[in-house]
Amino acid sequence: MILLKAMKKLFLIGLSLYLSLTPLSGHNQSPADRHQPHDFQASKAMVVAAHPLAVKAGVEILRQGGNAIDAAIATAAALNAAEPFASGIGGGGFMVIYLAQEKKVTVINFRERAPAAAQPTMFHLAGRLQPKWRRTHGLAVAVPGALAGWNYALQKYGTLSLQKVFQPAIKIAETGFPVSSTFSSINKDEYDKLLEMDGENSCYLNQGFPFEPGDLFRNPALAKTLRLVAKKGIKFFYKGELAQKIVQAVQKKGGIMTLEDLASYQPLEVKPLRGTYKDYEIWTIPLPGSGGLHIIQLLSIFENLPLKKWGYLSPNYIHYFAEALRFIFADRARYLGDPEFIKIPVAQLISKKYAQKLIAKINPKKVAESYPSTDFSPPRHSNETTGNTTHLCVVDEQGNIVSLTQSINHFFGSGIVPEGTGFLLNNHMDDFSRNPNSPNAPGSRRHPLSSMGPLILFHQGKPFLVLGSPGGTRIFSSLTQIILNIVEFGLGLDEAIEAPRFFSYSLKGEVRPLFVEKRIPASVLDKLQQMGHKISLRQAYDKYFGGAQGILILPAGQGLRGGADSRRDGFGGGY
Amino acid sequence: MPQQSFKKSNLRLSLLFLGSVLILGLISTTYSQSNLPKFSPPVLITSAGQSAEVQLATVIAKRAGVDATLVKMATPDNLGENKTLILVLGASLKGLGAAGLDMNEEINRVKTLLAACESRNIPIICLHLGGQSRRGELSDKIINLFLPQADLALVVRSGNQDELFTKICQTNNIPLILLDRPSQAVVNFKEIFQLNSPLP
Repeated sequence: MILLKAMKKLFLIGLSLYLSLTPLSGHNQSPADRHQPHDFQASKAMVVAAHPLAVKAGVEILRQGGNAIDAAIATAAALNAAEPFASGIGGGGFMVIYLAQEKKVTVINFRERAPAAAQPTMFHLAGRLQPKWRRTHGLAVAVPGALAGWNYALQKYGTLSLQKVFQPAIKIAETGFPVSSTFSSINKDEYDKLLEMDGENSCYLNQGFPFEPGDLFRNPALAKTLRLVAKKGIKFFYKGELAQKIVQAVQKKGGIMTLEDLASYQPLEVKPLRGTYKDYEIWTIPLPGSGGLHIIQLLSIFENLPLKKWGYLSPNYIHYFAEALRFIFADRARYLGDPEFIKIPVAQLISKKYAQKLIAKINPKKVAESYPSTDFSPPRHSNETTGNTTHLCVVDEQGNIVSLTQSINHFFGSGIVPEGTGFLLNNHMDDFSRNPNSPNAPGSRRHPLSSMGPLILFHQGKPFLVLGSPGGTRIFSSLTQIILNIVEFGLGLDEAIEAPRFFSYSLKGEVRPLFVEKRIPASVLDKLQQMGHKISLRQAYDKYFGGAQGILILPAGQGLRGGADSRRDGFGGGY
Repeated sequence: MPQQSFKKSNLRLSLLFLGSVLILGLISTTYSQSNLPKFSPPVLITSAGQSAEVQLATVIAKRAGVDATLVKMATPDNLGENKTLILVLGASLKGLGAAGLDMNEEINRVKTLLAACESRNIPIICLHLGGQSRRGELSDKIINLFLPQADLALVVRSGNQDELFTKICQTNNIPLILLDRPSQAVVNFKEIFQLNSPLP
């Protein structure tokens, strides 16, 4: 009997491995060394995402005649099943859509909102901040927007039903798949939280223990939830039985979300944010997604600097990058928040003139003594964000494009799973500032500031690069580095994604360390130290810097190239 | 028909192979458990490196019925009446950050704790439960520093691919149990703490 059970398990693992590794086209097998740069290739249509099964889901929908929007939602839902620790229906995000026929770019904001009862001091008890309430508590959960956003996109720009595009996700959740080392290590890192918030019987634990690499992970409860949503529509989530389960789970853990908060959630279709870099145009998301704004700021700064002369990963380049980030963080803390509720000087912040001013503030030889924000209006205070997210890109045969970033914030979100539903609730309330006087302080129905920055880069009027990444406040730094690696330093797409990354910031005007992947040569780090940077070494390929996915659209019908980050389980496929 | 018999013989071979693997596995587990040192509760569980696996050790102890207390940043004061220390090896930048510690502070804390254990004759069990993903520069520093002071080591096999644990344990004459997965340690805990059944 035991032998039969073992054989059955081996068979299931083998089957899942086979399914997950079946090539999606002749050019799409990953190299044996996962970190070796590898561009996935396709001639007409492509999907890149953080898990092979999610890519397979998107490609399947494209092959069935779906467009990029259909495939993006299928991939997004499949990620909930295959990479459940990073995003899902308990979270939210942003998508940039390019409609080829109309040559139109639009943005759907499905970021979570604070409950109506949220207020600036909600994380304080007797005047003292309670950090745990922001992350591992019912108060940490913001009203999820993913399903509403996906549904809005499908209804307005897609061609298939929610029922149709959810099928691959339901199958993944039901059949299961062998857990990767990425999944396993994140599961171990968040074990404490899962035990505390969901208990030893959590569907995200293997009989009370973290999943080991190769273990079969199935989530029948999620399959049932997705099937019910597909059948009954999103009102089942926002106004029906699921809404009750969500509110019950959140309130049981001390939260303030109500049925009315869920019932009143609406995604927003908004105008994209546009910027330029030389003869490239960047189309990205506006606030409260701050990644796009900061990418435009950084690129405007580097437009004026001799990057090619300095060289790839040169001390000068990294010094200017780190210092620019530190000044940008000072402005970010002072001005950024939800534009529905506060006035933000976006035009000034992304202007070329302001980029010149920031360059003038940077000492070419050494680290600044302090990083004051710039006066555009009366001063405000600081904030801090972290986060672990996911990104996917789709290009279809007609040239429609989706660049979608979604998240439940930290890995495994708040750790709260509404009873019997199999999905995790976000902890995005942690993206609000700790400071009650900040422009990004928690407030009734506000969107917390996000660092996401899904984008489409155009060259000479044509889509050139689709890109995005998770990684909290590292997102815009990493994406800018990838863009510069390609357009300035001549790296291939995946080469640019896999290249060593770095990051820094300032906090309350004070310098923070320069975080670097340890592959950056010691001689470069020595020079940076001489300039006054305190170096903090991270792993050679560190998830801290995100997990970017991109599609490069080659000119004159030469096809598509996909890059998928080996810092996570990135993969690409197409035809 | 020939195709059918080919399938049958293949199935027989597979069954034989799987059976052999299972039997060999059982034999090796039994052998490795035969001469283990014995320990007494109550137990203090702490981390060396603030990785999340310290919580795993607590669940293992609970399931084995071992009377144990978890103090992630234990100091000699926490030793109290405890008769055994379980030290969970593995560095996590995330965990260290959350604890507000840097590596030097963490190493000094554990050094002080182990010195107190030595002076009070409290035996030490070292666990490394994070496998391959909990190896690397920082974790290896901790392993090299503290494992030699253990009286017993339980290590998830995938973390010992380069045989670092085997080498340190052989050099220092420390019994080493290699586990395929952390949950297997429940059985070992029952044996080394001489418990027949878990607490209710």
